[in-house]
Amino acid sequence: MAAGAGAAFGLPLVSQNLLASPAANTTRKRVIFFMQNQGFDPKTCIPEGMDRSQSLAKATLPEPIQALEPYKERLHIINGLHGLHTSPSHSAFFGALGGYRGGDGVPPSAATIDYELSKVLPPTLLPHLCIGMDSIENMTTKPTIATLSASGAGQPIFMYSDPNQLYQMLYGGISTGDIRRQHEARSSVLTQIEQLAAAKGNSLPTGERQRYGQFVQGFKDVNGLRDRLDTVADHLRKFAPPVDERYTNPAHETDWHDVLLDLGISALTSGITNTLTIGSGRGEIFGAWKGLGVEQQGHNLGHMEQAGNPIWIKIRQYNSRMLVRIMEALESVPEGSGTMMDHTLIVYTSNNADKQHTNGANWPVMLLGNFDGAFKTGCFTQLDGKRPINALYSTLLRASGVPCDHFNMNEKLARKFDTNTGPLKELLV
Amino acid sequence: MNKVALTLGILLALGWASRIPGETYRPGQKINKDFASFAQEFLAGHCLDCHGELEPEGELSLHDLGPVDEVNAGTWRRVWAQVTLGEMPPPDMAQPAVVARLQFSDWIVGELTRAMRGKGGFRAHLDPSKGNFVDHALLFGPLPDGIELIPTSSPARIWRVTPQEHMTRLNELINTEPPYDPRKPGLRTHGDTVPTNHGGELKLYFGTDRIIKWQGGTVAYATAVKSLPAVLSTARDHGLENYPDFYTVNSAEATQILGVAEDVIRYMAYGPLSIAQPYQITDDPQSIADKMKGDLRGLPTSIVYSTKVKRPLTPVYDLMNDEEVTESRLRAAVDYLFEALTFRPPTKRESDDYLAIVKQSVDKLGKEDGAVLGLSSIFLDRDALFRPELAEAGEPDRFGRVMLQDWELGLAVNHALRYIKPDAELRQAVVEGRMRTRSDVRREVERMLADDSIRKPRLLQFFRDYFDYDLAGYICKDSKALADTGASARGQAHYRAMFDATASTDRLVELILQEDKDVVRQLLTSDKVVATKADNVYFGKRRSQAETAAATAAARKAAAELAEKEAAERAAWIKANPGKKPPKPKKKKPANVNHRVEETDLKGPRVYARVSRRSFGNGSMKPERILATVPADQRLGILTHPSWLVSHSDAMDNHAIRRGRWIRERLLGGGIPDVPITVDAMLPDEPQHTLRERMRVTRESYCWTCHKKMDPLGLPFEMFNHAGLYRETELNQAVDTSGEIIDSGDPSLDGEVADAVELIRKLAASERTEQVFVRYAFRFWMGRNENLNDAPVLQAAYRAYKENGGSFKALLTSLLTSDAFLYRTRSEPALAEAG
Repeated sequence: MAAGAGAAFGLPLVSQNLLASPAANTTRKRVIFFMQNQGFDPKTCIPEGMDRSQSLAKATLPEPIQALEPYKERLHIINGLHGLHTSPSHSAFFGALGGYRGGDGVPPSAATIDYELSKVLPPTLLPHLCIGMDSIENMTTKPTIATLSASGAGQPIFMYSDPNQLYQMLYGGISTGDIRRQHEARSSVLTQIEQLAAAKGNSLPTGERQRYGQFVQGFKDVNGLRDRLDTVADHLRKFAPPVDERYTNPAHETDWHDVLLDLGISALTSGITNTLTIGSGRGEIFGAWKGLGVEQQGHNLGHMEQAGNPIWIKIRQYNSRMLVRIMEALESVPEGSGTMMDHTLIVYTSNNADKQHTNGANWPVMLLGNFDGAFKTGCFTQLDGKRPINALYSTLLRASGVPCDHFNMNEKLARKFDTNTGPLKELLV
Repeated sequence: MNKVALTLGILLALGWASRIPGETYRPGQKINKDFASFAQEFLAGHCLDCHGELEPEGELSLHDLGPVDEVNAGTWRRVWAQVTLGEMPPPDMAQPAVVARLQFSDWIVGELTRAMRGKGGFRAHLDPSKGNFVDHALLFGPLPDGIELIPTSSPARIWRVTPQEHMTRLNELINTEPPYDPRKPGLRTHGDTVPTNHGGELKLYFGTDRIIKWQGGTVAYATAVKSLPAVLSTARDHGLENYPDFYTVNSAEATQILGVAEDVIRYMAYGPLSIAQPYQITDDPQSIADKMKGDLRGLPTSIVYSTKVKRPLTPVYDLMNDEEVTESRLRAAVDYLFEALTFRPPTKRESDDYLAIVKQSVDKLGKEDGAVLGLSSIFLDRDALFRPELAEAGEPDRFGRVMLQDWELGLAVNHALRYIKPDAELRQAVVEGRMRTRSDVRREVERMLADDSIRKPRLLQFFRDYFDYDLAGYICKDSKALADTGASARGQAHYRAMFDATASTDRLVELILQEDKDVVRQLLTSDKVVATKADNVYFGKRRSQAETAAATAAARKAAAELAEKEAAERAAWIKANPGKKPPKPKKKKPANVNHRVEETDLKGPRVYARVSRRSFGNGSMKPERILATVPADQRLGILTHPSWLVSHSDAMDNHAIRRGRWIRERLLGGGIPDVPITVDAMLPDEPQHTLRERMRVTRESYCWTCHKKMDPLGLPFEMFNHAGLYRETELNQAVDTSGEIIDSGDPSLDGEVADAVELIRKLAASERTEQVFVRYAFRFWMGRNENLNDAPVLQAAYRAYKENGGSFKALLTSLLTSDAFLYRTRSEPALAEAG
């Protein structure tokens, strides 16, 4: 078991049939959040001259997101949401996906939207997976970190940054070599911990046994998840990415970014998970992309203008290629009468609103996919800056079948920061 | 009322009030009565007159309330709260006999426990917020006939360690904390808890004692330094946070602990080399200047560590740095870690079990990875995360009670005061069989309480839980509303000031405990404050609009006069030095005076506050403070300090209800029923009206029954704004600070008060306040609510306090040598067995 599996494991026992069968005749939905740090300048995504809501059909996408040009009928660019209440300068951290005030070192004050969606989407073995991309030093020394997702107040969900650990967690049962040895050693230790823990519960008074039983049950869940993944090894083998040199000997941090994405995609296509959160820059104000030829790293990247900046064009193009990879992979898997992508939504934005030093007055977002026909696509929507990102999250919940007037926003805050209630009608079909 | 009088007459005629008291009531024992013959009769006799079928009071009709089941459990819960608290029947109606009321209350609890089993259970009566549901007069006054107490004890249990305890245990493995310095007794030292950092975050940092150079500012530093967040969670933020039955360890936490364990073990073995490149460890940062070029901010490679080893070198270090893997090295590492994490040596069986795990892992993965993985399993031992008080050894007495002994008793005593493992003397006492009697406990408690070098962070935790003054930094303020208070709304200044204020109040509590005289009164009325420079503002006065304008005008005038004077001097100089170029006027930094605040001038001797070791580079908290005296007419004791006031405020304003509730519960020992789910508990959003005016909605009769217990006690604190600054005006009008003590339980206390200072003075002089304080101390140290059987323990603790001049140490020693602390009962509580 890799370190920091996060709240994803704090779940009741799930049965084998929770492994989403891609060929099954049921509408399974999934959602992906792609959070690039340092801000998302609207000029890097809105076609030139476009200042009102309209179709993207005749427009040409700007250079940074040009990779999405063939997919623009699936794209919805949204400008004019706000996050004034989230304190997004440098980063809103958990507040970006939570729609509340965040800050460096500030624990989450409520569950984030990705977690909430993972709960309401059709269940899977591992309902929520988070991966984080950063400089190689940070990913090595802090292979798990929690800055973006949370399952509740004070309950951060950790993201994986070491692909070796993530691979071991997802595919330990079908691995070979070193990863296999690690997997077996950990499995053995965890099994013995469970036995020791259970033995020490036998002599407890009845009332205490129940509470302590939750501790023991935790190990049973972890061991159970591993066993269940092992039992569907043949199925997983079809989706698990091959392990190559990039795992053990990355030339640049982007090698790990790439294989982390492969693992994330495989968790979706194999049906292990229904919610994937990708933190490019891991929700903080640092990060590195030397593999793209970007020598500057970390905080300075956020001090630069993004529009027309070759460095940011490279980073955004890299993001866009990743988005294309996700879409291609999901399109390649049949599901229902179409493909997985038909039932998927990708939310691309930043944990930093529009730029690093920002008050959050504008928070651009791109959606890809229509989530089983729920969202409008192929268009640009200009909002008036009076509805918060929380309204987008209410919209996502509504599209998932859960009514929500204000996501993580009480009436008092809503009166101040939202001019309307419920979903953003401009986005829904 | 005629109907009421008639009912009363009938009841008296039937002899209802005198029938039940004939029975003997033993608290905690199952009430063997049924609904039809007992509860229904009680309802008919005391409730249905007003809560009948037609036009029931409070729209609560009980005429068809049947036996307790999961559907009507909510109604029964309300009935339980109202009857138990003595709110119902109302004072003008016939009252049930004391025993009848107690039996009815116990019967409902028993029935709710039975009915809700499998539906989430019924635990309300066990929650500390319901501790005051036990009648204060029965605990401290004479008992009426018909009540027979049985010797008390606490249930056998396991007690999950708190996040702070867990962090402090782990910290012992990787950091060497400084020894106690009697010349600077306030400085954080070995045995103190790992405190939160200046951002209010509980984190454990690796190797910060060896960092001699870093690149980048505070945020970059924080990101570059290896740290661990608190893994165990605490769901409560007000009141007593840690009863044994609150928490378990869930699988997400267990998984994270395993990851944390691996980081800790690697650091124990390799020090900074486990997180840094070898070149980063040098005493001459200049020598690696070439490697420190470029923008490394936020990267682990931006840090330089000294070569001096500062962490403890333990058998884990020996194991990992010895080329050979021997059984004795492995066992030494296992045994060392086990005791470091559970605070007791392993049994032979435990040692063998973990040795086997480590050996297997080493066989599979080789020494380095295998030992780390195998040893990390010890971090998840039951006793590393839960402290057992199971009393499995020892013979039960005739009441079924078994006294804790040996390690369980030693660790219970240790845990009552400390977060680190027992010191050598206590350990020796356990090993030699000298932790088995009440006098053994008294000996160890008195020894530890007398020695300041033995740090006792759990004492401070009690005062934090009791006062709730440690929440101020976490109250998120609206920027504009904060700026209006006169406090700085720039960046994180206010939040940092509040985290500093928590540390300052901690230190003030410690100083009062050091004196150990009239502790409760001192806490409530001391004119002393431990302060930073920022406190000149926070303990200052928010000027009125007119005063602000006058201060601004005066400053302008002074500046103009100064400029005029300087111009005249310059002209004089030119005249005196014809043809010469006059010296350039000195550049002056524009004065940034906050005219909205009349700062107080706090002065006093240097003291120190226990703040975290350097955690965030330049952003770390500073320990230097002064011990000053506050303006007498404006402040009185901790409840008038910004740390407490802001902790009981919200984003926009004061929180008079929360403040009032605090006074009602923590000083007067009163209970507040839960807010009925039908109540939409919102004050109107009317910025043009004062909080007092907006609280008019709580005066509606339905709300006022409860709110009269809180609001008039909280509103006197309107003499402060929501950043804790003193004020005389609000919205340009004289601020109304009046309040009232209503139905306190002590008629001599009841009556109107002019402001918070008068309110506090009155309450601080009250015996009841001191007794209620004892009740809270009991709950904190016993980890449960008191019941009537605990009355002798509470009375003894109160006597010890009073007879020793208001000594907290005497109070605590009394509690820790009481039956409630020493004895455990392994059978289930009788109430839970009901039905």
